[in-house]
Amino acid sequence: MDADSDVALDILITNVVCVFRTRCHLNLRKIALEGANVIYKRDVGKVLMKLRKPRITATIWSSGKIICTGATSEEEAKFGARRLARSLQKLGFQVIFTDFKVVNVLAVCNMPFEIRLPEFTKNNRPHASYEPELHPAVCYRIKSLRATLQIFSTGSITVTGPNVKAVATAVEQVYPFVFESRKEIL
Amino acid sequence: MTGRVCRGCGGTDIELDAARGDAVCTGCGSVLEDNIIVSEVQFVENSGGGSSAVGQFVSLDGAGKTPTLGGGFHVNLGKESRAQTLQNGRRQIHHLGNQLQLNQHCLDTAFNFFKMAVSKHLTRGRKMAHVIAACLYLVCRTEGTPHMLLDLSDLLQVNVYVLGKTFLLLARELCINAPAIVPAGRDGVRRKCCTDGGPSLHLSRSTPGSTVPRAGRPLQTERAFPSLGRSAFTAALRQLCDPCLYIPRFAHLLEFGDKNHEVSMTALRLLQRMKRDWMHTGRRPSGLCGAALLVAARMHDFRRTVKEVISVVKVCESTLRKRLTEFEDTPTSQLTVDEFMKVDLEEECDPPSYTAGQRKLRMKQLEQVLSKQLEEVEGEISSYQDAIEIELENSRPKAKGALASLTKDGSVEDTTSSLFGEEDAEDEELEAAASHLNKDFYQELLGGGLPGSAEAAGGPEGGGGPPALESLLGPLPTAASLGISDSIRECISSQSRDPKDASGDGELDLSGIDDLEIDRYILNEAEARVKAELWMRENAEYLREQREKEARIAKERELGIYKEHKPKKSCKRREPIQASTAGEAIEKMLEQKKISSKINYSVLRGLDSKGGAGPRREHARPQETAGARRLSRRKAPASTSGADPVAGVRKRLRPMVSTQPAKKVAVGEALLPSPPSLEAEPVRPTSAVVVESGPVSYHPEEDADEEDPDEEDGEPCVSALQMMGGNDYGCDGDDDDGY
Repeated sequence: MDADSDVALDILITNVVCVFRTRCHLNLRKIALEGANVIYKRDVGKVLMKLRKPRITATIWSSGKIICTGATSEEEAKFGARRLARSLQKLGFQVIFTDFKVVNVLAVCNMPFEIRLPEFTKNNRPHASYEPELHPAVCYRIKSLRATLQIFSTGSITVTGPNVKAVATAVEQVYPFVFESRKEIL
Repeated sequence: MTGRVCRGCGGTDIELDAARGDAVCTGCGSVLEDNIIVSEVQFVENSGGGSSAVGQFVSLDGAGKTPTLGGGFHVNLGKESRAQTLQNGRRQIHHLGNQLQLNQHCLDTAFNFFKMAVSKHLTRGRKMAHVIAACLYLVCRTEGTPHMLLDLSDLLQVNVYVLGKTFLLLARELCINAPAIVPAGRDGVRRKCCTDGGPSLHLSRSTPGSTVPRAGRPLQTERAFPSLGRSAFTAALRQLCDPCLYIPRFAHLLEFGDKNHEVSMTALRLLQRMKRDWMHTGRRPSGLCGAALLVAARMHDFRRTVKEVISVVKVCESTLRKRLTEFEDTPTSQLTVDEFMKVDLEEECDPPSYTAGQRKLRMKQLEQVLSKQLEEVEGEISSYQDAIEIELENSRPKAKGALASLTKDGSVEDTTSSLFGEEDAEDEELEAAASHLNKDFYQELLGGGLPGSAEAAGGPEGGGGPPALESLLGPLPTAASLGISDSIRECISSQSRDPKDASGDGELDLSGIDDLEIDRYILNEAEARVKAELWMRENAEYLREQREKEARIAKERELGIYKEHKPKKSCKRREPIQASTAGEAIEKMLEQKKISSKINYSVLRGLDSKGGAGPRREHARPQETAGARRLSRRKAPASTSGADPVAGVRKRLRPMVSTQPAKKVAVGEALLPSPPSLEAEPVRPTSAVVVESGPVSYHPEEDADEEDPDEEDGEPCVSALQMMGGNDYGCDGDDDDGY
């Protein structure tokens, strides 16, 4: 992180969600019967398939749309998606791997100090919203990046955004504000 | 009215005739005004001989057009939807607000919020109760009253998060910044009263200004919260999110009987202590409260189990336990009961998260120290490794093929891994060093060749990250070299690939995908059968329901009463008609709407040219009696713009018909094409009698118009406004388009 000169903050990506399409109709029943690692939810009409290597859970619909969650990086997400498509191919469907898009990235970051939430909310009025009765964290939204940060009083920050770059930028942007309202431990 | 100047002659002598409602100039005789609205009070004689004033009470908000004679049981009959909603909302707001003891000003503000919400269509798709509660809570926040969302959810028996969601949405849509509630205690800011624990409170209640010096506690509080006054204990002045607010409520629920007050005081003291020990930030106040109450109860020999406390406080058991353990860690917990009441410890503890953080920091430091030591050891080992490898190279026969060299590397690897096995296998740096060494080796040997065997042998890993120690032990060569080459290949080809993907070529990139492993994912026949059995058993109920539903549908189909439940089509908003002339507007509207067969289009089209008397004549009769209020109201929103003479006529009939609610109900809702004109007759004279009691005096005039159909032709041209029922144009409030 170049924003803070002294400390390098580690942003840990915990989840990457992506979608892709196989341009063909998938027979969920067949997948459910022949897959070893699938859960068939007939009432909602989807199949959950879990891979072990990149630890990924995929939701498969019969229309061919697939959502992949659980990856820890964008490349891993793509890799897992491709493996999934391959396994569907082996099951006999004419799979075409198209429209791959990373939809959501969830990351966690830890500040080396604690934060005074009410003060922070007051200084960042339009962006920050704090409802202690409902949730212990401040919800800070950055519209330009389409990112949301949840800032806890312990200094831990959870960021969600459309891609990894946005997440990093969001943390960089919010750091000075959070630094202002930190709790000094004497 | 007085002192006006005549337009004709300039004279100032104007005579007002109240009976006829005229203002006439005595000089030239020109009529300056007619239809003057008088505000005199008239009296009528009752059947007892007494006289009463003529008139009705009209409500402040609402249309005020329903004079309810003979009972208000049809109170919502005459209003349009918007007014009904607002009235309903107002009633509910008052009902809820009274339960919360909000004053009138707050209730009015809440109603204003509600009106704004309705106008922005925020009540659509939401339970009215939720929206009302959100409005009330918004008022509570802006006024700073000590009501919590929890209170509202208790009253309504609704999940507090649902209410919270509605509240946040409302605040956002109405662009209202709900002032943040500062939790009291630590900062000492915005505190209006103090929360002295212990018996000192009794004293302070009776003598507000007293400063009884008790050993420890009160002085401490003054020092800690210097801005506090020592006013009496008033819950109403409490700040939100202050756990002290909850204590009396929960204590009451836990039923301590006579000692309720004492237990509450003890719990308050405990809470104060917790606050000073930094246990309260970022925590749900009710959790702290529960812990404090539990301990306080025990201190006063009340046996309240954790379960009881949980059911009252509404937190999870583990939360309560956690709070108790945190409190246990503070030195205060070591005091006995008596000591606690008397003495307050000087020192403050660090917040529990801080201590946890410190512990983590220490662990990290330890790890770093360890890793440094390991590095040194590693350096030694690597030198040994190099020596060993060189030896082995020399001693073994030369590689015949690449595979042979690979096996040699494997044995080398084994020795190194066995050496490493002693160390901490989790150490990342160690692995990185090992893989680095191996990688160099492989790159030398493989030289970019043999991707095939490598692929088959190694399960490739995800693009980066040091390979696990197991993979070093396992099949070789590891994915380190493979992964890198793989990602390099991907990088090179990605540029060419991306446009392909974008264009929808969709070729599946098989590089790096291990087919063997994927094959393992596919079950064979027997397994598939077993799995099918299991699934059937699991979802038996769902399948049964589906079968029953299908059977039911089949039966209904046979009987022919099967109703297809079509998904509700959301009514699409129609664009407001943009037209330059009234005629154009009518045409456009007719195109849009479903056209009735009862309209004479030729006449309509000739509307512009004529004065519009034609259609009135033809439709006045058919719609006289059938112009039920509801019907006209239903059609009224449809005539979003433009002159709709049909609706206009119906609207004009409304004042006449509305005064006869009983008759209207009898007439029914259907538009009778040719009602007997006889019906019109009794309606008119009776309505004439009743109408006089109406507030507006234009009724007799309108009735006079209707009475003579012949006269209609010779009437002077009627303005479009009047045709549309211009006299009651304002009252309707045609802003409920599509509502």
